[in-house]
Amino acid sequence: MFIVHVDIDAFYASVAVRDDPSLRGKPVAIAGSHRRAVVLTASYEARPFGVRSAIPLYRALELCPHLIVVRPEMAKYKEISREVFAIFGARGHAVEGLSLDEAFIDVGGVTLDEAAAFAQTIRADVRAQVGLTISAGVASGKMIAKVASDNCKPDGLLAIAPGEEAAFLAPLPVGRLWGIGPKTAARLNEHGIGTIGQVAELDDARVRQLFGSWGIEVRDLARGIDRRTVEPERETKSISTEETFEYDVRDERVLISLLRDFAKELGEKLERENCTASTVGIKIKRADVRIFGRQTHLSEPTRDPRRIYRAALHCLQRAHLNGTPIRLLGLRVASLTQGDAKQLGLFG
Amino acid sequence: MKFTCNTKDIAAAVGAASKVVNAHTTVPILSNVLLQAEDGKISVRATDLELTLEHAFPAEIGESGSVTVPAKLFSSYLGNLPAGLLELTGTPTRASVKCERSNYDFHALPADEYPPLPAATVGSSFTIGAKRLREGIEATIFAASNEEARGAVLMGTLLEIENNSLTMVATDGYRLAKYQTTLDEGINGVEKYIVPSRALAEAARNLGGAESITVRALGAQSNQLQLTSGDTTITVRLVDGQYPNYGQVIPAKFDRSVTVNTQALIGSLRRAELVAGDRASMVKLAVSNQTLVVTASSDVSGNAYEELEVEQTGDDLTIAFNARYLVEILNHVKSAQTAIEFLGPLSPAAIRPVEAPEGGQQLYVLMPLRQ
Repeated sequence: MFIVHVDIDAFYASVAVRDDPSLRGKPVAIAGSHRRAVVLTASYEARPFGVRSAIPLYRALELCPHLIVVRPEMAKYKEISREVFAIFGARGHAVEGLSLDEAFIDVGGVTLDEAAAFAQTIRADVRAQVGLTISAGVASGKMIAKVASDNCKPDGLLAIAPGEEAAFLAPLPVGRLWGIGPKTAARLNEHGIGTIGQVAELDDARVRQLFGSWGIEVRDLARGIDRRTVEPERETKSISTEETFEYDVRDERVLISLLRDFAKELGEKLERENCTASTVGIKIKRADVRIFGRQTHLSEPTRDPRRIYRAALHCLQRAHLNGTPIRLLGLRVASLTQGDAKQLGLFG
Repeated sequence: MKFTCNTKDIAAAVGAASKVVNAHTTVPILSNVLLQAEDGKISVRATDLELTLEHAFPAEIGESGSVTVPAKLFSSYLGNLPAGLLELTGTPTRASVKCERSNYDFHALPADEYPPLPAATVGSSFTIGAKRLREGIEATIFAASNEEARGAVLMGTLLEIENNSLTMVATDGYRLAKYQTTLDEGINGVEKYIVPSRALAEAARNLGGAESITVRALGAQSNQLQLTSGDTTITVRLVDGQYPNYGQVIPAKFDRSVTVNTQALIGSLRRAELVAGDRASMVKLAVSNQTLVVTASSDVSGNAYEELEVEQTGDDLTIAFNARYLVEILNHVKSAQTAIEFLGPLSPAAIRPVEAPEGGQQLYVLMPLRQ
């Protein structure tokens, strides 16, 4: 059984270049316009300067003063993502989307060459039909497939033969393992463990000591043993939207007016998804970066922006902000019901 | 203060009162119950400022006075005592309890800081059989809204008193429950109160001490209602607002109806709802040839089909409902047979018991789903 991991190269930036050829070969970053904007994607030309996703835009401009900044166009990305995912699933294989630009495809019980040929076809189809390049990793497990596609970016294909997983992973830094974040990686380095190969060689007692109860699982991954299966498209469980403010907001009227816009946006999204929601919740990040939320349950599912707004307002009142400076406000609807059956009201 | 009483009496009184206490209150004294010893009686009171419950029971008073103790803790403690006698001594900061060979000291808060009962400016009052009021409460409050975002009015239940008649109405805007009964002692004229439904739930639970319940409006603007039965009193702040004109949404006439076995329909709807769960619990009712067909379907779960024999009058009809709403209504219909009346697929339907219970008249109105 083989799994293919596919990932569009520098997705947002590639879309910008595709649609404006004058950007080709230049350092491009996709980022919002507000003061706290972060880089969402950087083109490969910008990366040698140290510009990468998630760094603040002002920092990116310090690193690369001639960086071309392009505003994100989420609606366009989603539309393109739909086209690309249609190609991923065109052969009837199970597809698990990880984000707009990344997915696992379960190609089933074929040979390695057949799996690689399938990946090559998808790459060619996406390039021909959508005009974007993708990289693909082929392997017996999800993690290795993903590491493989990361290793052959951009516009590459890398297939790892069964039995060679451990050898492929061994020289890579331990931080490339799933579940090992920078902090754990630093701690492991202190113990003299720098590569995945070193984790693979640890004995039972030592992995438990270093990683706790999931030690054996981590070592299995390091040895290239990965039993996780591709989980086809999960149902949408909730829909949300949020905004980080350029300046901390204390004025509740600003929040209220934003909630009205959010409610309208979510109402439209529910309409598009042919869903109704019966849970409405707000998310608040305070200036001291503490995040908290309030949510409320509706007796009858809705997609009516006015009802979503009223419920959101109720949540806001219960948050008792009293002028607390707020950095981020989000609105979320959940407990989604499919279909458009509408409960009629007695009072119009 | 000092008194001796039966452990069962005080456990029951504190247990009932502690249910009123708001577990999330930020005012420390509101987490406490107030015990007052006077005239051979102990009264136990708890409040969340909207709802106050007071229950009295006989005791041997050594010294009159009062004390407040943490409701949840004290109630749990009393619930674990064996049957027998208990002696309690209270000071502003401590309540000491002796029971058999055990001694407990509970931290108390000064009783004079406990919120006083509302001023006893009494407005109009009426008396109703305890069983009837309880029946009315059970028949209606479930239909009230539990959605805070839609406001307190719909979360309340309307009590409309006109001379000797009481009408109780609860609605969440999609379904409506109405119960009409007669009073033991009525009033002259008309009074309307919107009562928080949870206060009525407490009344149904606690006001069984005597045959009848006296209901009084309190306060200069009649903004509180007090319900008393025997030694138990519930006082509640009324909801300020305009109750929707419910009479207007109950059709005066229907043009078709079915009579159906209540339990059989509940069973069919419950099974069909399992299939309809992910589609707003939508079930379709098709009436034709003296048969009611209940269907539901969803892409995820499959299809449901159920046939029931009914007594049909008028034209055939297909109408969709939220199964949960319909089941909840039918669960409150105290009759083996239920009559459901229709006007059309997008108009309100009326649901009533065929054999009217002796206490009062039940009527439910439910809006359909538009497919």
